[in-house]
Amino acid sequence: MDFSSMASQAGGSNPKMPTEKFMYHFKSQMEQAYAQKFIETLGRKCFDKCVTKPGSSLGGSESSCVSRCVDRYIEATGIVGRALFKANQ
Amino acid sequence: MDPSSLNTAELQHFLNQEKERAMMNEMVAKLTSVCWDKCITSTPGSKFSSGESACLSNCAQRYLDLTLIIMKRFQSMQ
Repeated sequence: MDFSSMASQAGGSNPKMPTEKFMYHFKSQMEQAYAQKFIETLGRKCFDKCVTKPGSSLGGSESSCVSRCVDRYIEATGIVGRALFKANQ
Repeated sequence: MDPSSLNTAELQHFLNQEKERAMMNEMVAKLTSVCWDKCITSTPGSKFSSGESACLSNCAQRYLDLTLIIMKRFQSMQ
């Protein structure tokens, strides 16, 4: 991840952007990138688990599988995150 | 934005924190992906079985143990 070019981008064309505004924009860009990546991952994982034979539309069981999959993956992220956090203590 | 104005101590500190945060997030994301594949073998249910949640937690910790072993072995080769 190229931080200095992201940082320059967050500042835009204003050479004297106040630090606070810059930090706010930088943080929100980081959050957006994270969310996008997370959604892509969810799509891959849940497609793998729930759509084994793609039909001409998403069936009811497939749709509910995807909902559960999203919930479970978010939960899994929490479990793994906490395990790593504990280990770092 | 003029890149040279990124040299203030405050901004450096901020960017270091953000870099650290991004690296942690990346680690969690990668591990979750690997451990999900290893531990969640059937169709996702409305909650995890105790086996599944234990597997996820163990998976993360064992991966860290493994990383340590690899580093030690690598160092002993230097």
